[in-house]
Amino acid sequence: MTDGAVNAARRGWLRDLRRLAVFTGKRLLALLVTVLIGVYLTIVIANMGGQVDDLRLAQIETTAAEAVRADPAFHDLPSAERTELVEQQVALEVERLRLDEPFIWRSFDYLYQAMILDLGRAEEMHSDAGSRQVFNIIAERLPATLLLFGTANLLVFFVAVFAALGLSRRYGSALDQSVIGLAPSSAAPGWFYGIFLILLLAFIWPLFPAGGMVSVPPPEDGWAYASSVLRHMALPVLAMFISQIFISIYSWRTFFLIHSSEDYVEMARAKGLPDRLIEQRYILRPTLSPIVTSFLLMLIGLWSGAIILEQVFNWPGLGTLLFEAIGHRDTPVIIGSVVIFAYLLAITVFVLDFLYAILDPRVRIEGGRS
Amino acid sequence: MFDLRRLLPLLILALLAVAIAGTLWMGGRGVDQGAAPTVQPGDASERRGALVDEVVFTVESDPGRITALIERGSHHLFGQGLDSATLFRQIQASPAVGHHFSRGSVAELTLNPAEFEDGQLNPFADREIREAVNWLVDRSHIAEELYGGLATPRYLPLNTAFPDYARLAGPARELEIRYRHDAERARRVIGERMEALGAEQRDGRWFHDDAPVSIRVLIRTEDNRERVGDYVANRLEDLGFETERLYRTADEATRLWIASDPAAGRWHVYTGGWISTVINRDVGGDFNYYYTPRGRPDPLWQAYDPDPELDELAERLERREYQSVEEREELMARALELAMKDSVRIWLVDQQSVWPHAANLEVAVDLAGGVTGSGLWPYTLRFRDGVGGRVVIGTPSMLTEPWNPVAGSNWIFDQMILRSLSDPAALADPFTGLYRPQRIARARVTVEEDAPVGRTLDWVELESVERIEVPGDAWLRWDAAEGRKVTVDEAEPEGLTARSRTEIEFHDGYLDRYWHDGSRVSVADMILPWILTFERADEDSALFDPGHVPTFSVYERHFRGWRITDTDPLTVEVYSDQVFPDAENLVANRVPATQPWHVLGLGIEAERQGDLAFSTGQADRRGVEQTNLVGGPALEILRDYLRAARAAERLPFEETLSEWVDPEEIRERYAALEQWQAERGHFWVGDGPFYLHRVRAVEGSLVLRRFEDFPDPADKWLRFAEPRIPEVSVDGPLIAELGEAVSLDLDIRFGGEPYPHEDIDEVRWMLFDGDDRLARRGELEPDAEGRWRLHLDAEILDALGTGANSLEFAVTATPVALPAFATHAFATVPGGRVPQPRADPAEEGDD
Repeated sequence: MTDGAVNAARRGWLRDLRRLAVFTGKRLLALLVTVLIGVYLTIVIANMGGQVDDLRLAQIETTAAEAVRADPAFHDLPSAERTELVEQQVALEVERLRLDEPFIWRSFDYLYQAMILDLGRAEEMHSDAGSRQVFNIIAERLPATLLLFGTANLLVFFVAVFAALGLSRRYGSALDQSVIGLAPSSAAPGWFYGIFLILLLAFIWPLFPAGGMVSVPPPEDGWAYASSVLRHMALPVLAMFISQIFISIYSWRTFFLIHSSEDYVEMARAKGLPDRLIEQRYILRPTLSPIVTSFLLMLIGLWSGAIILEQVFNWPGLGTLLFEAIGHRDTPVIIGSVVIFAYLLAITVFVLDFLYAILDPRVRIEGGRS
Repeated sequence: MFDLRRLLPLLILALLAVAIAGTLWMGGRGVDQGAAPTVQPGDASERRGALVDEVVFTVESDPGRITALIERGSHHLFGQGLDSATLFRQIQASPAVGHHFSRGSVAELTLNPAEFEDGQLNPFADREIREAVNWLVDRSHIAEELYGGLATPRYLPLNTAFPDYARLAGPARELEIRYRHDAERARRVIGERMEALGAEQRDGRWFHDDAPVSIRVLIRTEDNRERVGDYVANRLEDLGFETERLYRTADEATRLWIASDPAAGRWHVYTGGWISTVINRDVGGDFNYYYTPRGRPDPLWQAYDPDPELDELAERLERREYQSVEEREELMARALELAMKDSVRIWLVDQQSVWPHAANLEVAVDLAGGVTGSGLWPYTLRFRDGVGGRVVIGTPSMLTEPWNPVAGSNWIFDQMILRSLSDPAALADPFTGLYRPQRIARARVTVEEDAPVGRTLDWVELESVERIEVPGDAWLRWDAAEGRKVTVDEAEPEGLTARSRTEIEFHDGYLDRYWHDGSRVSVADMILPWILTFERADEDSALFDPGHVPTFSVYERHFRGWRITDTDPLTVEVYSDQVFPDAENLVANRVPATQPWHVLGLGIEAERQGDLAFSTGQADRRGVEQTNLVGGPALEILRDYLRAARAAERLPFEETLSEWVDPEEIRERYAALEQWQAERGHFWVGDGPFYLHRVRAVEGSLVLRRFEDFPDPADKWLRFAEPRIPEVSVDGPLIAELGEAVSLDLDIRFGGEPYPHEDIDEVRWMLFDGDDRLARRGELEPDAEGRWRLHLDAEILDALGTGANSLEFAVTATPVALPAFATHAFATVPGGRVPQPRADPAEEGDD
C-alpha cells in the first residue's frame, strides 16, 4: 500500500471516529435531556405541582391528633397541653419531610439526586425487610418481578416469533385463521384472565395456589422452595401468556408476511433457493433489527411490573411497589423507580443505535455513504 | 440426517420441561420434611402456653378471596374487619366459615357550623337546624339498608359497645327516643328556622337573597359512607335544598374539611368516621374533643361555639372534676343532652366489622378492636377439636415498619403479631376493657381523696388517703451526664407528693421465667427500659431523640418516682400524678416495661455509635437505618455489635445494672442470643406464649411457634373466647286495664342458659307514655334464676291514661360492656273492657 493510500485510510478512520464521537455525544446529550425532562415531569406530577404538600400536612396533623387522642396516657392532659403536644409532633414531622421548604427548591433537589442516581431515602416507606434506602426497597422486589415477568415475556416472545414464522409459511391455513380469530382475546389484560384462572384452577379445581410467591409458610428446603415458586408462578404466567400470545403471533406473522413479499425474497424464490435459506437469509436477517428492538424493549419493560396483575396474584413485585409509593406519595421511591426505568430506556435506545449499524449494513452514521 | 437447528427449539423446550419436572419432584420430597403440625386430641388444661403449635401470618390484601381461602383450608383467620354486606353474606352462606363482630367504628355527619365569609346562608350555622338533622335521618334505614345490617343505630356521642353507654343506659334511651326519626318534625323545625334566617321557599325550593340555598355534601367514597352521603343529600333535597355532592377519598376530603377554613364555605356536611381500637372505659373527654374548640387546633374545631354549660361540662369531664361515680353520671347525662342540642355532629351508626375465621377455630375477639385489637388472641386461639396444629392468618400487611421495642412499628397488624411475643403483667378483658392480672399476684392502689378512681375486680385493693408522700429512696429520674439514677431525696430535698401510689407484687417465680432465647428474666430487664426513657430525652445523651421529647415531657409531668421494694417476690412501687377512673387500668399503666437487656443493649450501643437509630425520625435525621431486630441491613450491624459485646462482656449502664447482673449472666445471655440469632436469623427475643421462628419479609410470611417454657396452663384465658352478651326477652300483657296492676317477666339468658344473677350488673326499666315522655323509671330485682320481674301497680298505670305505651329494659352485665335492650309495647285501656292476652316471650331487640 502506498503512503498516500495509508494516509487516506488513516484520515478515513479519523473522520469516522470523529463522526462517531459527534454522533455519540449528540445522542447522549439528547437522551440525557430527555431523561431530565421525563424525571422532572414525574417529580412535578407526583407532587401535583406542590399541592401534595398541603395534603401531606393535613394528613400529618390528623395522624398526630388521632395518635394523641387514642393514647390513654394523654387522656388526662389539659386541652392546651394536648394541642401543644400535637403541634410539636407535627413540627417534627414537617421538619423531617422538609415541608417547611418551598416545593420548587425541593423539586430541583429531587432532580439532582435522581440524575446522579443517588436514590436516597424513602420518606414514608420501608423495604419489606425494613430498610429505608430506596435502592434496597427497589432491589428487594426486583428478583420477584424479573422471575415472573421475565418468564412470561420471554415465553411469549420466543413462542410468538417462532410460531409467527411458521404461520407465515402457512398463510391462510386453518391454524393461521384460528390465530387471527383469537387475536382479539388479547384485548383483555392478564389480570382479567388471572381472575378466571384463580377461580377455576385454584378454587373450583384446586390444582394451583390462589396467589402469593411461595407456599405458606415458605419451605426451608431449597428444592421445595423452588418447586413452590414454580407452582405459584403457573397461574400468573399462564394468565399473561393467554393475554399476550395471540396478538403477538398475529403481529409477528403479519410482519414476516410483509417481508416475505419483498422483491428480493421473490427473487430468491425464483432462483430456487431452499425455503430455510430464504427464511434465514432473506427474511430473518433484514428483520433482525426490529426483532432485537422489540426484545430489548420487552426486557426493560420488565422493570415496571404490572400493578393489577401483581395485586390479583398477591405477587410481591415492582408494580405493587410503585402503586404503594403513589399511595404513600413517597416521592423518592416514585422517582427512584422512574429514573432507573428512564436510564434503562435511554441506554437501550443508545445501544440499539449501534446494534442497528452492526445488524443492518444499510444503516450509517449521518453524513456517511449509504 | 437430523436438522439440529430445526430441533433446537424443541430441545430447549424439552430441557426446560425436564428442569421444571425435576424441581417439582425434588420439591415434593422436601415438603414432607416441613409438614404442618397437626391437631391432636388433648386437654387444654394439661398443656402450657399456646393452644396451637404454630401460627403463620401471611399477607392477603384481597378481602374478597378470604371466604374461598378459608373454605379451601389454606387460611383460618383474617386479620382485618370487613364492612361489606356482600362479603358478609358470603361468609354467612358458607358452613366452613364462622365470624366474630367488633364495634369500634362509627359513622357520623360532621356539620360545618361557621357563618360563611361570602355572605351565603349556611343553614348549619343555626343550632336548631343542626339539631333537626337528627330527626331528618333515619338511622335504622342507614343501619339496615345502607350497611346491610352491619351497623347499629347510634344517636349519641357514646359508642353503644362501650361501658359508658351501659352506665348511662337510662338517659341514653330517653334521648334516643327523643331524637328518633321524625321527618315531619325535621321539615317543620328546619322550615321555621330557614324563614327566621331570611330564606323563603318557592315551589318547594329554598331561596336566600334570590339564590337557591345550596348544600355541599362532602362524601367519602371508600366505604359505605358513599351511600350515606347520597342518602343525606337526597333527604336535604326533599326539604328543598339544592345539593352539590363532592365525592372524595380520605386525602382529598381532608384538604377540605380539616385543612380549609370552614368560613370559606367549601363544604357544609361531611360524612365522617372514627375508629377506636380499644374499649374506652371513660369517654367523658369526648365532649371536649368533639364539641369544643379545645378538641383540636384545626380551623373546623375553632369554629365550634358550644353552649357555655356544655363547654364547662366538657372541660370538667375531661379533667375528671367530680367526686363520685354518681356525680359523673349526672354530668355525663346533662352533657349528652346539651351535645344533642348542639349537634355539630350527627351520630349515625356504630359499624359492626366482621372478622371471618374457619368454623372450627376459636379466638377471643376484642369488642372494639376485633382480632387485631385483641390482647388475648395468642392465649385463646385454638381448633375446637383438639390442641396443637397450625393456624394460618391472612393479614393485609405486615412488617410495615422496622420492628424494635423502643420506637418500632406501631401498625395494628404488626402490633397484633407482637402481642403474641410478649407476656404483659396485665391483659385487657376484650369485652369490658378492664385489665386482669397475668403476672401480678396482687396490687394495691392508693389515691388522694379527691381522685375519682373506682375498683371493679378484686385483684386490686383501692384506698384513699389525704396525702401521699413519695419515699426519699424512690428513683425520680436518670442523670444521663453522670450515668446514674437520681433519688427523690437528692432531687427534692423538701419532699415530694403524688396523687397515686401503685404497689405491684408480681407472682412468685416471676424472675425464674425465661426469655425465648433461654436467658432467665432479671430485674435489669425492668430497669434498662426506664433508663432509656430518660436518656432519649436528654440533650446531653448520645441517645437523644428530639422526637421522643414531647411524649417524655408528658410522662415527666406526672411521674413521681418508683422503687423496687422486694425481689422475692418482685415488688415495685410507682408514684404518679396521673390517675385513671379504673384502678385496674391504673395498675396496668404503671407496671414498668420489661425488655431483655442484652438485646436492648445492642440497639443502644448501635445508636450511641451512630450506626442505627430506634425511631424513624432519628434515623432520617442521622441518615442511618432504623433499628430493626427482624430483618434488613440492621441485622448485620447488630451482629457486629453482638460479637463485640460478647467479647467485651459489655453490660449497658454498668454502674447501675451491675447491682442486678453478675458476669456469669452476661456471658450466658450473649451466648444464648448468638445461638438464637444463628438459628432464627433475627434478634427478636420475647417472653410471650409464642416465639418468632422465622421471618420471610419479601414473601410476606412470618412464622410463630409455641413457647414450650411458658409458665401458664393453656386454658387460663379460655373463658374469654366468647362475649357473654345477655339475650333478653320480655313476657307481659299487651293490654293493661286502668285500675289494675300488671307484672312482666324479663328472661335473661346466654346460650340458652339462665344468665347468673351475680354477673348482672343492673337491669333498668323505663316507662314511656303515648307521647314518648318518660313516665317512670327504676331498677329490677332478680326473681328466679335468669328471671327478673317488674310489677307496675295500678297507680302507675293510671298516671299513663289510656293509649299506647312502651317499656324499655336495659340490661348491663359485668362480663361484657355491651348492654342488651328489650322493648315491650302495651296499651292501657279503661277497666273491664277486654281479656288479658300476653305477648309471646320473644326476644325484642333494640331499634
